[in-house]
Amino acid sequence: MKSPAYSELVRKMRGGRITRRQFMQSASLLGVSATSISSALRANPARAQGASEVTFWTTHTEPDLTPLQSIVDAFNAENSDVQVKLVQVVGDETDTTKLMTAVRGGTGPDVYMLDRFIVAQRAAEGVLQDLSEFIGSEDLSKTYIPFAWAEANFQGAPYALPFDTDARALFYNIGLLKEAGVDPAELDVANGPVTFAKLAEIANQLNETDQDGNFSRVGFVPHINQGWHYTYGFAFGGTFFDASSCQVTPDQAGVVAGSQWVYDYAKALDAQKLNAFAGPFVVGQEVPEEQDLFVTNRVAFVVTGDWFLNTLAKFAPDTEYGLTLIPVPAEGDESVTWAGGWSMVIPQGTKNPEGAWRFLQYIAGEPGQRAYTTQSAHLPTINTLLKDASLFEDEQHRFFAEQLLPTAKSRPPLPVGARYWDELTSAWQKIYLNEEEPAAALATVKERVQPDLQGFCPLEAS
Amino acid sequence: MAREQPVMSAATPPFVAPRIAAARWAWLSRQLQRQVVPRIVLLLVCALFLLPFYWMVNTALKSHQELLAYPPTLWPHELIWSNFQDAVDYFPFWRYLGNTSVITALTILGSVISNPIIAYGFSRIDWPGRDKVFYVVLATVFIPFPVLIVALFDIFARTPRPVIEAGRLAWEGNWINTYLPLVVPMFFSNAFWIFLMRQFLMQIPTEISDAARIDGASEFRIFAEIILPQALPAIGVISIFAGLHAWNDFLGPLIYLQDEAKYTLSIGLTFFKSQREIQFSLLMAASTLIVLPVVALFLAFQRAFVEGISLGSIK
Amino acid sequence: MEGGVASRHDRVSEPTHHPMTPSPHHPFRLSRKQRRNLVVGLLFVSPWIVGFLAFLVYPIIYTLRISFTKYSGFGVPQWIGLGNYQALLDDELFWTSLYNTLYYTALAVPLGVVVAMGLALAMNQPLPETPIYRAILYLPSVIPLFALSFIFLILMDPTKGIFNQVLLRVGLPNVNWFGDPAWTKLAFVFLAQFGAGQVALIFLAGLKGIPSTLYEAAMLDGAGVLSRFRNITLPMMTPIILYDLILGLSLGLQVFTQAYVVTQGGPADSSRFYVLYLYDNAFRYGKMGYASAMAWVLFLITFVLAMLVFRWSRRWVYYEGA
Repeated sequence: MKSPAYSELVRKMRGGRITRRQFMQSASLLGVSATSISSALRANPARAQGASEVTFWTTHTEPDLTPLQSIVDAFNAENSDVQVKLVQVVGDETDTTKLMTAVRGGTGPDVYMLDRFIVAQRAAEGVLQDLSEFIGSEDLSKTYIPFAWAEANFQGAPYALPFDTDARALFYNIGLLKEAGVDPAELDVANGPVTFAKLAEIANQLNETDQDGNFSRVGFVPHINQGWHYTYGFAFGGTFFDASSCQVTPDQAGVVAGSQWVYDYAKALDAQKLNAFAGPFVVGQEVPEEQDLFVTNRVAFVVTGDWFLNTLAKFAPDTEYGLTLIPVPAEGDESVTWAGGWSMVIPQGTKNPEGAWRFLQYIAGEPGQRAYTTQSAHLPTINTLLKDASLFEDEQHRFFAEQLLPTAKSRPPLPVGARYWDELTSAWQKIYLNEEEPAAALATVKERVQPDLQGFCPLEAS
Repeated sequence: MAREQPVMSAATPPFVAPRIAAARWAWLSRQLQRQVVPRIVLLLVCALFLLPFYWMVNTALKSHQELLAYPPTLWPHELIWSNFQDAVDYFPFWRYLGNTSVITALTILGSVISNPIIAYGFSRIDWPGRDKVFYVVLATVFIPFPVLIVALFDIFARTPRPVIEAGRLAWEGNWINTYLPLVVPMFFSNAFWIFLMRQFLMQIPTEISDAARIDGASEFRIFAEIILPQALPAIGVISIFAGLHAWNDFLGPLIYLQDEAKYTLSIGLTFFKSQREIQFSLLMAASTLIVLPVVALFLAFQRAFVEGISLGSIK
Repeated sequence: MEGGVASRHDRVSEPTHHPMTPSPHHPFRLSRKQRRNLVVGLLFVSPWIVGFLAFLVYPIIYTLRISFTKYSGFGVPQWIGLGNYQALLDDELFWTSLYNTLYYTALAVPLGVVVAMGLALAMNQPLPETPIYRAILYLPSVIPLFALSFIFLILMDPTKGIFNQVLLRVGLPNVNWFGDPAWTKLAFVFLAQFGAGQVALIFLAGLKGIPSTLYEAAMLDGAGVLSRFRNITLPMMTPIILYDLILGLSLGLQVFTQAYVVTQGGPADSSRFYVLYLYDNAFRYGKMGYASAMAWVLFLITFVLAMLVFRWSRRWVYYEGA
C-alpha cells in the first residue's frame, strides 16, 4: 500500500530535502514495510541526486578562518552541483598527523590547505595527488609567481596550487626612537636599507635595565617574531641548498655569517639576559599578541611579516611606527627578505576528485585569492593580482606587495623541508643563546639532514 | 599510658586533669603536633597547588588591557564575566561538553566493568602460568603509544561498525569518525588499572575465598558478592582516573574524530591558539568551565570515595 | 576478617608456592582442580586476551615489521633489514634524546614517589577540613594539560612570573625555566610534580588500608611518629610504591605532551625527549620505519629497566595476604 504521504517522502528524499535517515524514520512511522523502505533506499543511493560534496580541511584558526569560510560560501552560492564543507582540524605548518592518518585510513579530505614549503616532502611521501592530469596543457608557471610555483612542484610534477604568500620587513617604533634622541628619518625607506652595524648602534641606545639588572627595554632582539635562521642567512647572502651537488648547505659562508652576527650581538648584551627578556617562549612559540614586545613598547625594532599590520591595528592603534627593508651586511648591499605561504592540495584517496579540482581552481585562482588578500593582510601569489592596485589600498600593505615580494627569496622546496626547518631551529637556539659557535652548530644541521636527503637525490629542478 | 584515640575533630573535648600542669603541657604539645603544625604545612602546600588554578581563573576574568599590565596584576581589577560568554561562543561549547560527557561516561563504564574482572583472574584464581601471563600484561605498559597510532588507525578504518537499519543488524562503513575507537578498547581493560586492581585484590586474605569455595559458591559469585565490595576504593580510583583521562584526552579524539560536530572539549581548546597568537583570556575561561564540573564531581564523589576507603580498611 | 594482619609474606616475582602448582615430576600433567582453575581463570582474563590481541599484538607485530623497512606511511614499504637499527647507532640526536629522557626520568620518578607520599600523608590528616585539602591537592591534575602548560609558561615567566618574583625576593638568581637549556628538563620535572595528586590518591587508599591495630600496637610499645612511619607505614605501602615506580618509569620514559606543547624540543635540543623525536620521525619527517625501530628500542630499554626494578623490589616489597 503506497499512501500519498509516502510518495511525498520519496520525492523529498530524491530532491535531497530530507536525509535518508529522516526518510527511514518517517516511512516507518507511516507503517511502510521494511522491504519497501530498503528498496526505496537502494533506488536512491546517497549523493546520487543533488550536489556532490567536497570536504576542505584547514589547520588555520581565526582571524584567517572567517575569510576562508566566506570564500567557501561564495563558491557554494555559485556552484549548485558542488558544495564545499570547511572543517577546522588540529595541526600546524609541519605537523600533519591528522592528514596522514586519515588518508591512510581512506577517510581523508578532498582538499587540504598545506604550508607550501612542505609540499615537496608530502609529495615524496605519497600523500598528495599529482595534479598534472587536472591541469592538462595549461601553463600555470606563468600564472603564479615563480618561487610559489616552484614550491608547489616536486620532481617536475605539480602537487599543489599556490594560495597566499607573505614577506618580512623591519618595523620600527617612531615614538621610542624620538625619545632616545634618534632621528627616525635615518631609517626612512627612501634612504635605502640600514646596515646591521647601524641597526645595532641605534638599538643599543634604547637598552634599559631595572634595579635587579634585568632588561626592561631592549632596542632590538634579533631572534623574536620572524627573526629566523632563514631571515639572517638570506640577508647575509646565504644559500641553503646546492642543487648541482644535491646538498643542503647550512654551513655555507653567508648562512654562517648571518648567524655569526646574531651570535656576536647577543654576546655583547649577555645572551641569557637577552633571552630572559624575550620571554619564556622559545622562538617559534606563540606569544599572546597583546603581550608582544613591540606592541607593548619594550622593543623599538622587530623583524616580522605583513600580518603584523593587523596586529598593530588591533592592539596598538596609537603606536606610530615605520616600515623598512631588512638591513644589509655592508653599505651598498642589496636588501634581501624571504617569503612563505600556503597552498591547496588534493590528497590521495579522495572520493570526489572532480569537485575537489573545481574548488581548487576557484580558491587558489583569482576569485579566492582576491577575497583572501582584501580580507586578511596576506599577499596573493597570482602575478596579475599583485599588479592590481585596488587590492592594496593601504600604503603599508602595498609596500609588502611592491617593494618586498618581487625580490624575496624562499626556502628550498626539499623532500626533507620539515626536518631541515626543525634542525636549523635547533641550531638557531644554540646560536642566539651562545651555547655553541655558529659554524659548529650549523655543521651539525648538515650531519643530521643530509643523510635523509641523500635517498632522494638527484632532485629534478622544476 | 592512656590508649590513644584518633582525633576526629578539633572540637573533641580534651581529657585533662586540670590540676596537673605537666599534663596540660603534654596536651598542648599534642594539640600543636596534631592540629597546628599539620595545618600550617598543609596550608602552604595547598597554596602552591592552588596557584595554577587560581592563575587560570584570574586570567579568565581579566580584560585585554589588564593582560598587558606589567608586572601582572595579582587579581583582576575589573571582572570581565563576558569572557566566559565569549569563550562559550567561540566554539560549540555545549555540544562539545555533551560529546565529552558521553565519551567519559562510556569510558568509566567500560573500565569499571572490565578491570576488576580481569584483575580477579590474575590475583584470586591460581591457574598454571598465571604469573607468566601477568608479566606480559606488565610488559604492555611499556609500549610507546605514538607508534601504535598508525596500526590502530588501520584496524579501525577496516572494521565495519554495527548499525540497526530497518530493524535489522547490519554492518557498514568503519569506526573512524565515531566514538567507538575511543570507547570500545576501554571495555578490554588497561594494563595500569589491571595492575592497580591486582595489587589491591592481593591484599585481601585468601581464606575468605577458600571458605566460600568450600561452601560451593561459584567463582563469579565469590567475585561479585565477596571480593567486589572489598575492592570499592580501587574501583573508585579507577573510575576517577579513567574518567579524567577521557575528559582530557587529546590525541585520541584528534585522530579519530573528523566531523566538527563530534569534537570534544580538549580539541575545542586548541582553537584558541592560532598560528601566531593565543586568545589567552578565552582559553583560560573555557578551561575553567571544563575544570569546574570535574572539581564539583570530585568534591561530591570524594565523600563516597573516602567511605569506600574506610570500608576497605576494616580487616 | 580480624586476623588478616598475621598472614604470610609473599613476593610478587616469585612463583606462588601453592599446593596447586604442578608437581616437578609431572610438569605438564594438571590435576582436575588445576584444569578447572585454568578454565575459570582464562575466562576471567579473556577480555584482556581479546583486547591484547586486537589492540596490542597486531600493532606491535606490524610495528616490528615496519621497523625493518624504509616506509613513509604510504606506498610500498621497502625492506632494508637492520638498516634502521644501524642508522640509530650513528644518529647523534637519537643518543641526545635518550639522554634527555633518562635524565628526566631519573629525577622525576623518585621525586614523584616522595611528593605523592607526602601529599597522601597530608590528605590523610584527621582534620575536619581534610576533604578540602584533598580537593586542592588534586586540583592541578584535573586541568587539561594543554591549558596547564600555558598557565605554567606565565607563572614561570623569567621577567614577570610569580615564581621568579619570589625567587628574586629571597635573593636567588633569576631562572629562565623554559628558555635556558640548562633548566628546561628541571622545569618539566617540577611541572610534573603538580600531577602527583593522582598517585597520591592511590597512596591514600593504601594508607587507609593499613590496619589501625598495627599503629595501636606500635604506640603501646612507645614508637614515635618517625619510627611508626618507617616500620609500619612504609613497609605496608611498598606494593603501592612499586606500582607507582613502574607507572612512573613507563610514563617518564614516554614524556611527550608537555614538551610538545611548550618547547617543541628546544631550546637547543635540551627537551628533545625520546618519544618527541619518535613522533617527529613518524608524522613530520615521513620516516615511519625509523620511528618503528625507535619504538622497539624504547620498548627493550624500558623492559630491561622494569625487570631491574622488579628484581630490586624483591628486597623491599612486602605483601600481606596474597
